[in-house]
Amino acid sequence: MMPVPVNDAASLLLVLAVLLPILGLCAMLGLRGLHPERVARVAVPLGVALAVAVLVEVWTGGQALHYTLGDWEPPLGLRLRADGLSAVMLVLSAVIILAAALFSQRQFRTPEGIAGDTRAPFTFWSMLMAMWSALNLVFLGEDLFNFFVALELLTFSAVTLVCLDGRTATLHAALRYLLFALLGSVLYLLGVALIYGRYGVLDIGLLHELVQADPVTLAAVAMMTVGLMAKASLFPLHLWLPPAHAGAPPAASAVLSALVVKAPFFLILRLWFDLLPPLPSPLAGQLLAALGAGAILLCSLVALRQARLKLLIAYSTVAQIGYLFLMFPLAAGPLAFWETIGWTGGVLQLVSHAFAKAAMFLAAGLIAETLGHDRIGEFAGLARRLPVAVAAFALAGLSLMGLPPSGGFNAKLLLLSAAAASGQWWIAAVILAGGMLAAGYVFRVLGAAMADGPAGEAGGPPSPLARQLVVLALALVAVALGFVPLQPFALLGIGREVLP
Amino acid sequence: MTPLVSAATLFGLCASGMVGIGLYGLIVLPDALRKLLAFNILGSGVFILFGVIGRRGAAAGLDGDPVPQAIVITGIVVAFSATALAATLLLKISDAENEPEDGGKDEP
Amino acid sequence: MSGSLNLAGLLLAAAPGLPLALLASALWRGPRARLMRLLPFAPLPALLAALLAPGGALVLAPDPLRLTLALDLPGAMLLGGAALLWSLAGLYAASYMARDARRTGFAAWWLATMAGSLALFLVADLASFYLAFSLASLAAYGLVAHERTPAAGRAATLYMVLALLGEAFLLLAFVMLATGEAAGNPMIAEAVARLPTSPWRGAILTLLILGFALKMGLVPLHVWMPLAHPVAPMPASAALSGIIVKAGVIGLIRFLPFEAGLETAGTVLVALGLFTAFYAVAVGVTQHHPKVVLAYSTVSQMGVIAAVLGAGLALGDTRTGTLAAYYALHHLLVKGALFLGVGVAAGRALPWQRAIMALLALSLAGLPFTSGMLAKYAVKDLFGDGFALLLVTLSATGSTLLMLHFLRRLARAPDAKPAGTALLAPWLAVAASSLVALWVLFPVASGAGYGALIAPSALWKAAWPMLLGAALYLPLRRLGGRLPRIPEGDAVVLGEALVPLARQASAGAERLDELIRRWPVAGALLVLVILLLGAALQLSAGIGPLRAG
Repeated sequence: MMPVPVNDAASLLLVLAVLLPILGLCAMLGLRGLHPERVARVAVPLGVALAVAVLVEVWTGGQALHYTLGDWEPPLGLRLRADGLSAVMLVLSAVIILAAALFSQRQFRTPEGIAGDTRAPFTFWSMLMAMWSALNLVFLGEDLFNFFVALELLTFSAVTLVCLDGRTATLHAALRYLLFALLGSVLYLLGVALIYGRYGVLDIGLLHELVQADPVTLAAVAMMTVGLMAKASLFPLHLWLPPAHAGAPPAASAVLSALVVKAPFFLILRLWFDLLPPLPSPLAGQLLAALGAGAILLCSLVALRQARLKLLIAYSTVAQIGYLFLMFPLAAGPLAFWETIGWTGGVLQLVSHAFAKAAMFLAAGLIAETLGHDRIGEFAGLARRLPVAVAAFALAGLSLMGLPPSGGFNAKLLLLSAAAASGQWWIAAVILAGGMLAAGYVFRVLGAAMADGPAGEAGGPPSPLARQLVVLALALVAVALGFVPLQPFALLGIGREVLP
Repeated sequence: MTPLVSAATLFGLCASGMVGIGLYGLIVLPDALRKLLAFNILGSGVFILFGVIGRRGAAAGLDGDPVPQAIVITGIVVAFSATALAATLLLKISDAENEPEDGGKDEP
Repeated sequence: MSGSLNLAGLLLAAAPGLPLALLASALWRGPRARLMRLLPFAPLPALLAALLAPGGALVLAPDPLRLTLALDLPGAMLLGGAALLWSLAGLYAASYMARDARRTGFAAWWLATMAGSLALFLVADLASFYLAFSLASLAAYGLVAHERTPAAGRAATLYMVLALLGEAFLLLAFVMLATGEAAGNPMIAEAVARLPTSPWRGAILTLLILGFALKMGLVPLHVWMPLAHPVAPMPASAALSGIIVKAGVIGLIRFLPFEAGLETAGTVLVALGLFTAFYAVAVGVTQHHPKVVLAYSTVSQMGVIAAVLGAGLALGDTRTGTLAAYYALHHLLVKGALFLGVGVAAGRALPWQRAIMALLALSLAGLPFTSGMLAKYAVKDLFGDGFALLLVTLSATGSTLLMLHFLRRLARAPDAKPAGTALLAPWLAVAASSLVALWVLFPVASGAGYGALIAPSALWKAAWPMLLGAALYLPLRRLGGRLPRIPEGDAVVLGEALVPLARQASAGAERLDELIRRWPVAGALLVLVILLLGAALQLSAGIGPLRAG
């Protein structure tokens, strides 16, 4: 047994990070007189502060934070844990949710008086809070079953946000999403059952010491991984993502694409790197990378052919998720995985894609609001009408294409270097081809927007500058990530060396 | 005196059968409501599996392993919520799809 | 290398800094309205840096980023020439495009391209080089696409596709160069020093030459140039054909290991360059539009520069970089002046204007006492006295042919609008600077004295290929219109035959995606992936059926 971790003040931050959004949700539910967006105005900045505090604490302390619920030790009790990667994910979620909340303050403002529709604002804000709590629980959890609960909460809130506008098409998209995600959940749970049957514990830290590469364990990992892949929408299991992400309100699409699909991916990372014992052959990792390659090539090509901007961005999300799965064979090798550039590149890709994609979906939202549609073929004149939104789209596009300076470029460079160093040239070729295809679909949009045309005059009033600046700020973060050094970051290794 | 098949094995086989039926239904059945039912069968299969595992823990001298019990209870709640959410969506879809006809009748 | 902040370092930073600052200022309404008139001033720090700061260096960001600027002699020559042409072409543009409705957008692309192209001559580390190269290369898209005509659209799309392809080649080459380096972002010189011993030497050299040859327009990667250069507005054509193609030249100067000398790679580059030089002449003389003829002349001249670099690489001659930069400077200024001249001296121009155009055009063929003769004289040493030297000399014959053809097409082109001082002055200034700069720099670059230049033997060596060219031009002129019309961009037609194929591929991808996204198919795939992943995991762990059986 390991030394008993003491719950100190710093580790209380972890509980607060999970509880705060739930408290916000309760306030929204309980105090109907209080407008939900006003609750969010308090809860969101607090949550950002909490996430940053966790990051600072982990970074300066150089070790992971722990919190043992009710001082019940695993295997019976539950534990929360924040290592370097979790802290990064916490801050990433908080910042993206902050941007989504700022963007939606006007769109989902509760109307005054009795006549207005209060349902949509209430659903939006309460589900945003539920989603945030679930995300934080995924990033901080240690217990395999706990993850299941968090993922379900995440799925339910995400599904609700997808069909917020109540149109038949989005209802269908939401149902498809829910059913496929449930299929994934059950598979995951099946894997959990096998693991529990085999080892009698569910805590990742304890399992890390017990686990053996026997057929039962590997079958369980395979089932859990594929269940999570279905939820992360990895090719060829992406059937639900394009209609769901394209149908949701822009702020919700941003959070869904930037964060919600990353949560199951984060769990796959934990399964493969923290739980699975080192395997002598990289074959399984290469299979994941091959699926990633399929996503990059096929879905980028499909994105090129989309007539509607939001669908194009959604297909781009499927393609970009593919890049994340390239890191499995690239982080293998003689070095500890958290010291490889493959691992660093993969995490950087996750973070920069989150910012770039959130910026893109929000920009698409502004465009659709102004024009009344998002048909790329009718964008001529848009650049004149919404220069800031188009500029934000272009900057975010820089990151997706992997052109410098951008986080996407640095991520691509690190992954390419890892592929070259390990002689996995097919991965290098896929990364380069994916960049060119991404350039194709980004330029298609920009070319249409910058043409002369009538879109400059028609449609509603232009969006207020503040909302446009939120979008631009997200895109600028994606660009600024291009100035991180091209080497493994110490932060991402914190807490990896000594699992609890 | 030992039975031909132990209770654990019997329940395990039962669980596998339900998982198989549920998986088949969820993949193959075209109707969303049937898919939902298949999901519930699939889920029940997994819960029975947990039950078997909890029972097996009893061999270690405990009356029963409490963790799988907690998991099954939580799991049932989650599955119930999921079913409720999916049913709501189904109802909304059927409302929305019937609406245009009513809307048509409203016109003078 | 000194990392301290000094005047030279500040000038280096300001060279790309001022254009970028002006670009950023366009976010505000006031500066945006004046953007076009500010263009001539944007490259002035770069010009000053080229004159005052050779040998200067500045570390913009310390370890681990290591963004570093440094100015050596080849860089300074090209930086100075580029800054001068950017500035004067900017002056020209301010007047030439005064009534263009999209001039502000044009100015923005102009500044971005300028910032990238100037930075390219200054940067010393791998990451900054790629950044500058991408900026110059991709922002030039806006210049090519500016006219928004179908021809411009086609040219710009082709330009973009090939530019991105070039970027991909270079990125992979850079990654392979940097692999095994201790620092994440090595200095170019450090990485190149290790290139000859790299296990991937052949692959890296191939990728580098492909990437930079795309930018220089070496056959068969030249197809975009005769389409893209002529469709841009006149000053942008000058910048594209004068400056942007030099991105490829500086790339080869920086990344080829001249110290080590590589015989095979050098010979391949010489062959590629010389073939390009003659091929472009052969296609160029069938062209009618004077700007297209000039674009083919650029292709041909870049072929000569590639041959120079290849010869130096084969010999392992460390002067090669300087000599190639000297030749490139000549082409930069002369080609810039020629493109600007098409805007003032097309059709029935004044005799003195036609005379200057003739001098400039024949300078490309190496007319005695012009910059062309100096440049050709300086690089001749590298070719020894064999077959390669004969071919390089004969390339002047080809240039003579092509340039006489150009002058004829220029005279037959529709009359240019009567040009005021605002257009004439920048044109004349670029033309004059080509002469002055090359004469002043001759001793520095070539290491020889002026005496050698006016020796009768040197003059005869420059003159006889041109006389031969003039003699050959007479029958060509008689053939005149009977030459086959080769479409602009020649081999591009073959490439464009692939477009329907690409369409089919993407349509196929869409159909495949539709199939995968059907529920039963996705469900079956889910089960399949579980089985595959389970099997792969068992095999990875070494407990698969192989081991068990």
